[in-house]
Amino acid sequence: MKLLSHFDNDYDEDGFRTCSVTGLDIHQDAERYVKLYGVTAVIALVFGGIFALTVALTRWEVVSLISEQNYYRHLSMHAWNILIFWMVFMEIAILYVGGPMVLGRKLPLPKIAGLGYLIMLIGAIGVNWAIWTTPPGADAPLLTAYVPLEVATEFYAFAIIFLLGATVAALPFFAAIWLEKRGNPGKTLPLVAFGAFITSIIAVQAILGGIAAFGYAFLWRIEILDTINTGVYRQLYWIIGHGSQQINLLAMITVWYFLTHVVGGAVVVSEKVSRSAFVLYLFFINLGAAHHLMVDPGVSVGWRVFNTSYAFYGAAFASMIHAFAIPAGLEAGRRQRGKGGGLFGWLTSAPWKNPVFSSTIFSIILFGFVGGITGVLMGQLQLNMTWHNTFATVGHFHGTVALGTSLAFFGLVFFVTKTMFRRDFISTKLAQIIPYFYAGAMGIATLLMMYVGILYGVPRRTSSVVENIPGTDFSIAAAELLFIPLGLGAVLAIVAGALFIVVTVASLLFGKRLEDGDDGGLLPDGGIAATDGGITTEEIHATDMRGTFTLCLIFMATFVLLYILNWFLLTQLWQIGA
Amino acid sequence: MSTPLDPPKGNWWDNPVNRRESIWLGIAGIWSLAIFGWMSGFTRFGDQNPVGETYEVDPQEQWARTQEYLDEAETIEIDGVDAVIPPDDSVYITGYRFAWEGLPVALEAGKQYDLHLGAYDVQHGFSVRPEQSLSQQINLQIFPDTEWIVPMTFEDPDTYHVICNEYCGSGHNGMHGKFFVREEL
Repeated sequence: MKLLSHFDNDYDEDGFRTCSVTGLDIHQDAERYVKLYGVTAVIALVFGGIFALTVALTRWEVVSLISEQNYYRHLSMHAWNILIFWMVFMEIAILYVGGPMVLGRKLPLPKIAGLGYLIMLIGAIGVNWAIWTTPPGADAPLLTAYVPLEVATEFYAFAIIFLLGATVAALPFFAAIWLEKRGNPGKTLPLVAFGAFITSIIAVQAILGGIAAFGYAFLWRIEILDTINTGVYRQLYWIIGHGSQQINLLAMITVWYFLTHVVGGAVVVSEKVSRSAFVLYLFFINLGAAHHLMVDPGVSVGWRVFNTSYAFYGAAFASMIHAFAIPAGLEAGRRQRGKGGGLFGWLTSAPWKNPVFSSTIFSIILFGFVGGITGVLMGQLQLNMTWHNTFATVGHFHGTVALGTSLAFFGLVFFVTKTMFRRDFISTKLAQIIPYFYAGAMGIATLLMMYVGILYGVPRRTSSVVENIPGTDFSIAAAELLFIPLGLGAVLAIVAGALFIVVTVASLLFGKRLEDGDDGGLLPDGGIAATDGGITTEEIHATDMRGTFTLCLIFMATFVLLYILNWFLLTQLWQIGA
Repeated sequence: MSTPLDPPKGNWWDNPVNRRESIWLGIAGIWSLAIFGWMSGFTRFGDQNPVGETYEVDPQEQWARTQEYLDEAETIEIDGVDAVIPPDDSVYITGYRFAWEGLPVALEAGKQYDLHLGAYDVQHGFSVRPEQSLSQQINLQIFPDTEWIVPMTFEDPDTYHVICNEYCGSGHNGMHGKFFVREEL
């Protein structure tokens, strides 16, 4: 208990305290569970990161660290710990921030929050155990556990337990929204709470799909079902496989609105537009699960075209709305407080030395330019033929998850270190360089993954083949040189990730305690409420947003150029298809 | 003032949208419809579409059909290996751990073939590229319980290499096959 009290804060007799950065009224239960889920997420990141190193050093065939017999276990550990456990534990924490904390409420059903945590933990440890005890050479699950591979039965069981746990853990959030709406009929939720609410609905859809998929496979593995249909499993699986990544997307965008406001002074330029974009996600984003079925047999052209486009690109349109609204919020907020000379003065004068801010901005830019554009490209029915299961696919989801979501979550962890654990960084200098170091190294690795995937056809999910395909003279050795910067970029990104862990953990344990009222240097120049009071909503709408508009035009030009290039490459191919 | 942490005040729905934001909405909306239109149209006028008839098929039956095809086919020696010459337009290529039944095969340049793609055991990835031009590569997913008939016409004579790019078990790395496209057979 002494150790725990090291991390505790002082609350009033109702269990609340006021945050000296955001001004939010925070209840002790909500705060404790945010810390618990957050710390667990970081532990999952450590595990996943260790396996990032072994995977990267195997794919860099000069090193060839792990034999094929063992490689797929390592790959499975990397995938599940980072893509699922690091993300989902963080997302539960984000729900508790976006719900009870933003609304200034108690965490309802705190015992359910604890129970959910326990079930998730059992599921996560069980999945790790099931993967790690796969005998060398036997079928490892990877992320997808595709049937009819003979993946360990326990794997499916623990995956289901984890998903059930996440559902239980989300209940206190739903209860908070329910109580808020019952207690204040007609009052609109703040944008961050609204975003978190949409995220949680997307999450429920994803989880139901996951329970169906893993349940189906589990019944087949314990021989209640005699046969299992490959295509049906794939459709069910991708509801969670892709849906979980859409949870990441929505959670990340909610975090973007939150952090650009509290550390950058951003405002909401149009409640109507931003909320409409979230509603578009609600209806359309999960159709994107079909991206994984573009080059599958058995699904009709009409089905594929409709779903892969999220119904006429409804969700891509929503993302492009946020791509304007979030930087525009920053631009408007900073211009209003007199920090906006010229076209980009609002951006160049921003708090770039605050790692929470720089993480958030790199996340926005890199997610958009690298992860977002490529996602739409590879999601087109025909272009998918050149992307599917190549290393470029791996590049795409490192663009979205490793650059986009992880960087945003790094920013959030830094933020929570100061605001909830109330600890100063053990070294401000180190904390400052981490977002730059990580974004740079991971950015290089990600771009090269795409490059070798598209232009050399290097496949994913294999421990070798660039230098040597067993049993033939043929190889893809032409891509070998590119693996030098790719391998170095990956290793450096892992070093940057390790540095992030070290700084965070050391700050929690040994960082100077921040006194009450100390904002830890997080607040934007002039304070969070600098524009409150005198400035009206009309003035915000009328603020000049030409910097953001210019950035968005650059984004669109990049998008169009890459679109044309990809289609040009495709049309160079031989004739395919009826 | 609107912040993302406070409930918006008053009738926020009717607040005007900034002019530049409105223009951006227009640009993004038009682009969304344009890329949908292009993808959709390309299925009608384009030459590269991952489209073909599919049939549910039992792996045993798939095996029997592939064997029947191989029995009918003649072979030709190219680069020191015996390649199958398909008896008609149909080319059977069936994946299994860890090889491709039906490969190597010899094909005529400029002739349209129906590739019958399937698998005996688990999912595989049909990833093809000509030896001389690695950037020209395509990838299709292969199921054990489905036969997918995808027409293809290879214009450029070359040796085409097939590797498996879906994890199918330990040994997957060596799952390679090839086919020869020649002006004449």
